[in-house]
Amino acid sequence: MTIKTITAVALLLSTSSAMAEESPINGTVQPKCSVYTETQGVYGHPLPDKLSTATADGGVSTTIRYDIAQADFYKAQITHPNSFSSSPTLNDAVAWTGSTVVGQVSVTEMSAYEAAKVISPSNVTTFDMTLAGSTWFTVSSTAIYGYNKSLPAGSYTAIIQADCIAK
Amino acid sequence: MKVCLIFVLCLLGFPGNAHEMTPAYPVLDSSYIGGVAVAKMKLFNRREDIKYYQIDVFTEDWKPVSFATTDRVLKVGYNKNKLFNVYIRFADVKRARYICTTSKVFKGGNQEALVSSMICSKIK
Repeated sequence: MTIKTITAVALLLSTSSAMAEESPINGTVQPKCSVYTETQGVYGHPLPDKLSTATADGGVSTTIRYDIAQADFYKAQITHPNSFSSSPTLNDAVAWTGSTVVGQVSVTEMSAYEAAKVISPSNVTTFDMTLAGSTWFTVSSTAIYGYNKSLPAGSYTAIIQADCIAK
Repeated sequence: MKVCLIFVLCLLGFPGNAHEMTPAYPVLDSSYIGGVAVAKMKLFNRREDIKYYQIDVFTEDWKPVSFATTDRVLKVGYNKNKLFNVYIRFADVKRARYICTTSKVFKGGNQEALVSSMICSKIK
């Protein structure tokens, strides 16, 4: 046999062995909800008796993102605080207010979530997540202490509850 | 336009801290223990600030249902998955509607509004 023939046979054999390889890639698509804390809220202290996450009050509002993998399988329920989870001892009542609003959306039609939201009770806002994609919610919180009383010095923490519940 | 936005968001890598649980609709199978059903769940922790998640089972009107699991409070590392089983007695299966995991938030901090996340799967 000539060198040319041997080379041709070797090339053919190597080609056929390479074609025998298969590497399947498997994946599963299923309904899924992911809750992201995009921005951690911070209370500003604009007045002696007030803590607020509003930018105008020197605070930072909380931003929470919900990623929904499949349309119409989940509802989002966000509860803004009505008590401190930790604080110095307080001897008077605290008046709480807050809100949850739709911010950015990945699908234009998600803007309708804002008009369709249900607030019940007063600090719980529920959104029906009828579309797949990402929705950013902005949560604000304000606490006013007593009647013209100064909040005692110390650290204050409140908890926002962000729930994603299968329908 | 939608495709472009999703593409740009994918490129940005969606920074943030996430809590995920699957499946959305768990199926209860018979377990190796007589008279007890089991649901197989998976939790994914992408919240760097959270290490522990509490498991709960609720009725349709959010009343607690008795259940058993290896650890009621799971320790899940950042960017880690955790598979866990929830065992419910046959007698309670009809009442059990939601299996939930809730992130456990540390109280500490300084003038913060912390976020506790809860994801609930529905038993159908």
